[in-house]
Amino acid sequence: MIAGITVLIVDDSSVMRKIVERALRQAGLNLTKVVEAGSGREGLTALERERVDLIVSDINMPNMDGLEFLRQIRAQRLGGSAPVVMITTESGEEHVREALAAGAQGYIRKPFTPDQVRDRVLPLLVPA
Amino acid sequence: MAAFSGTVKETDRFEEYLDRAACEVFRTMMGVECAPAEDGFEGERENISAVIGLAGQMSGSLVLHSGRRAALRMTELLTGMAPEGLDATVRDAAGEVCNMVAGAWKGFDAVLCAGCLLSTPTVVAGSSYELFSQRAPVRIERSYRFEDLSFMMTIFCEPSS
Repeated sequence: MIAGITVLIVDDSSVMRKIVERALRQAGLNLTKVVEAGSGREGLTALERERVDLIVSDINMPNMDGLEFLRQIRAQRLGGSAPVVMITTESGEEHVREALAAGAQGYIRKPFTPDQVRDRVLPLLVPA
Repeated sequence: MAAFSGTVKETDRFEEYLDRAACEVFRTMMGVECAPAEDGFEGERENISAVIGLAGQMSGSLVLHSGRRAALRMTELLTGMAPEGLDATVRDAAGEVCNMVAGAWKGFDAVLCAGCLLSTPTVVAGSSYELFSQRAPVRIERSYRFEDLSFMMTIFCEPSS
């Protein structure tokens, strides 16, 4: 169990935000605080006031998509060293490359299993 | 290379992808088995439809159509909470299920995977409505059953040039 994680979950679907939160808990993360945002723009606002340990974001969203959100995080130096994991239905190699180039450390395709979430997220949070 | 020229063989292939995508989403995200229903979809007085637009290598839409009971159950399986009616959470859940099926469906085809983009979902719910797609000449319709409930997925699309 990894203790004391604050996570920012960015997705325009409140149902998907809950599913991601549950999957992170099932993956063994002890979430002390969950910050939710419904768009990239809301995600940036959240990062201006919250210190987070992990950012999980959808890509396909209105009012700033996940890739632009990621670029803005890097450009504005928001989020500190928190790793960013994209969770999306877009599974093409081009989308994965684009997300990684924009600064994402992980990529999970929907639908996903808790095991997939654990395998992609946990290595990003455990110090090498 | 064109993603879709409208042949029977291609339509059969997209039907197979749709079956696989629907089953994968229900098994992975809801923990239940879902299978094609030979006896079709049973609509109810109150229904809900979620629409995902397709653009790029294929243009059209993918629609999930469900009755009230199936929509409530899908939402409960996804969230762990039982909704009381076709509220915002149920509409959101229907949109997400449609979105995930659309993503998984196009993921089975290399050309669509790389060159077909999905819109965010649009959801309609109520007791008296019909969805039309006037431009799309190709219609792929499949019904599915999970537990004792049914729903329908429809792809409206135009052959790409």
